[in-house]
Amino acid sequence: MTAIAHKPARKPVRGRDIVWMILPAIPFVLLLAGWTIYWAIVRPNMGTLPPVWTVAQTLWQITASGELLGHIIASLGRLVAGVSVGIVTGVLLGFLVGLNKRAAEFVYPLVIFFSAISGIVWLPLVIGWLGLGPALFIFLIWNTVFFLVFQNTVLGVQLVSEVLELGVRTLGGSRLHTILNVTAFGAMPYIMSGIRSGLGFGWRALIAAELVGASSGLGQMIFHAAEFHRADIILAGCVVIGLLSLLMDRLILVPLERRTIERWGLVTPGAKGA
Amino acid sequence: MTMAQASHARAVPMHDPFRIGGFSLVAGKFSFLLPFVVLVAIWWTIKIAFDLDDRVLVAPPDVLGALWTLFSRGILADYAATSLYAIAVAIIFSACVGVPLGFAVGANKYVARSLDLFLRFFQGVSGISWLPLAIIWFGFSDTTILVIVVYTLVVPVIFNTMVGVRAIPREYALSLQTLGASRLRVVRDVYLPGALPSILVGLRLGMGYGWRALIAAEMLVRQGGLGDLIFGARTFGQIDRIIGGMIVIGVLYIIVDRLIVQPIESLTFERWGVLRK
Amino acid sequence: MTPTVQGDKIVVENFQHIFDSADGPIEATGRVDLTIPAGQFVTLVGPSGCGKTTLLKAIAGFIDPTHGRILCDGAPVTGPGRDRGVVFQELAILPWRTVRRNIAHGLEIARAPRQEIDATVKRLIELTGLVGFEDRYPHELSGGMKQRVAVARTWAADPDVILMDEPFAAVDAMTRLTLQEELASLSYQTKKTVFFITHSVDEAVFLADRVLVMSRRPGTIKASIEVPRRTPGGRDWESFTTDTDMQAIVEKVLRLVREEKTAHKKDSAPVALEAAG
Repeated sequence: MTAIAHKPARKPVRGRDIVWMILPAIPFVLLLAGWTIYWAIVRPNMGTLPPVWTVAQTLWQITASGELLGHIIASLGRLVAGVSVGIVTGVLLGFLVGLNKRAAEFVYPLVIFFSAISGIVWLPLVIGWLGLGPALFIFLIWNTVFFLVFQNTVLGVQLVSEVLELGVRTLGGSRLHTILNVTAFGAMPYIMSGIRSGLGFGWRALIAAELVGASSGLGQMIFHAAEFHRADIILAGCVVIGLLSLLMDRLILVPLERRTIERWGLVTPGAKGA
Repeated sequence: MTMAQASHARAVPMHDPFRIGGFSLVAGKFSFLLPFVVLVAIWWTIKIAFDLDDRVLVAPPDVLGALWTLFSRGILADYAATSLYAIAVAIIFSACVGVPLGFAVGANKYVARSLDLFLRFFQGVSGISWLPLAIIWFGFSDTTILVIVVYTLVVPVIFNTMVGVRAIPREYALSLQTLGASRLRVVRDVYLPGALPSILVGLRLGMGYGWRALIAAEMLVRQGGLGDLIFGARTFGQIDRIIGGMIVIGVLYIIVDRLIVQPIESLTFERWGVLRK
Repeated sequence: MTPTVQGDKIVVENFQHIFDSADGPIEATGRVDLTIPAGQFVTLVGPSGCGKTTLLKAIAGFIDPTHGRILCDGAPVTGPGRDRGVVFQELAILPWRTVRRNIAHGLEIARAPRQEIDATVKRLIELTGLVGFEDRYPHELSGGMKQRVAVARTWAADPDVILMDEPFAAVDAMTRLTLQEELASLSYQTKKTVFFITHSVDEAVFLADRVLVMSRRPGTIKASIEVPRRTPGGRDWESFTTDTDMQAIVEKVLRLVREEKTAHKKDSAPVALEAAG
């Protein structure tokens, strides 16, 4: 019955559905069109602004040659390593501090200061200590991600409703049981939004660090291209950087949130930036 | 009777291990300095205990010395002014251009839908990624830096303004319209205050991104600014200048963030806290 | 000092709680003496801020007495324990556990065997009218349903004493009547000792074997009224409202509570009063 009732109701919506579906493509199409028209009229130097198709061609070339993949793997490897360390340390220390009010009061001023200089600011100092190896990148990403995850975890832990914890205590739950079954879950929305913005900041920090000094990675690829006035490679690289950032958010974080926070009917808080 | 009892009452314990006589580092106004004192002590201990070379780590007083040198010669003011100018221009530009744009985008659901992915994509391509291209277009100049920082800041501002406008319940505007309010009035009384918290989140987040992008860009473009100061000092192995510069970068950021942006933000959140999401 | 007699579940001896505030110590309660025999359903009514919740929290073990002591089965209460279950006014069930897993939580903690958990949960789900909602998450339920889950969770853990702090205050009036009837029969069937706090005199008399009236802040127990149970196996509102004896008790309690409220007005109570709640 319901299936039959549904069918006629669906048809008139179709046309609108298609419009709704293609809407996100419109600004991209407009941008490409504007770019092409500008290029056709001004005819700028290839090294300054190549036409769209050259960028597409270059993108295809570096993809086919495997060059791009190598850079992507290098960048993502650093990101995964740095972010993992950042999440683990941020969550663990966040719990430690969040559960202890005096510890929180003591560390807070330090956290404010060091999160203000987190990430790329450390580069000049740390290059001297770690050289230009993978340790440098992992440090810089860790340094960026840690503070975001840490601050959000502390906030999340502190904001878990006391009555939820007391309720489980009266069921006979030990303090550890309560932390694992109540506090950890209750703080989840905050931890997730910390991770989410941590990933965003970390990705930026990585590209910046790779620009300054690396032998591989997307940042290095585009910076290297600038020396040879290869704007096509730079643009192709920027497209890849943007796509990867979108994909990470859509394929990892959004589904993760959907399976946890949304399912439990919790609200995702605004991320605590910087 | 009650008072006598109360004085014997077991007080809620006020733990304060840092109380010395009547004076307390923790409860006092400058309590926030204590963790830094501890940190500097650890730093100094490491320096002495491992007998580290000045090219690896300098002693805390050396940093103060370097800062004084930079300050007294006017170098610091010069570099800091360059950075602050860039970030100020970017903030003003983002507020003046990004907010109206965000409103325009957010007011129509079709425009919002079409631009959502576009803006997310460009938020993903961080400003600093455009640096190589900007260098090709504008050379190693202040313009390059300004373009990067403005780009970095304006995208999150547009995006968050849009989100803020979209998040306002339709009933708010509708109920005002039934009272006969004009379109302008609805914008002024509903959309602007309703979206303000989100706009400020965007500005703050953008400033976090922008300040870092600025430092990174300055490191590469080398046309003045605090990023140039610390990266340049590295070439000569002047660790004291690097750490001094880092402190200045952190303190300036905190001043702008905590003393200007955050008070406004928390004020709006307190008054319109319901819309926080 | 009442000696602990066999059969006294909860004994409160000369209890008082005083907490520190910015304006000095505040007496959350007066001196309270109270004995609850095993299996009795005791309700406590009193003006807001008189210290009802403080007393309940102390029995639960959330706060320590400033004076006196609290015994459960003759042993001093030192903290929360599974012998004293609590149903809170706010929703204390966990949003990330389904109805079934929320109710099973106490038994899981006690490491009860699987079959026992399943059997108990099934029985309570039936008793509380939650059949068909076992695998829903709390946010998918109505307020009344959620509170049923909270009650079932506490009962499933099988504590000797159940403490309830205005559990139905946030539920709509119609649902509340049903919940009260269900609670009356549930507590009769399981023969639990219940300590129940409420604002509502009707509710207090309807549910109780004994109604206690607390004076205004700092509250002491000023009256204790026995309520004879006419019908074994619970009560229903219809016969309760038509029962003249019951209505006489309601009148009596109401008068006692009202005295406290008028006295409260005359004294123009200090602002801090509400904080003591």
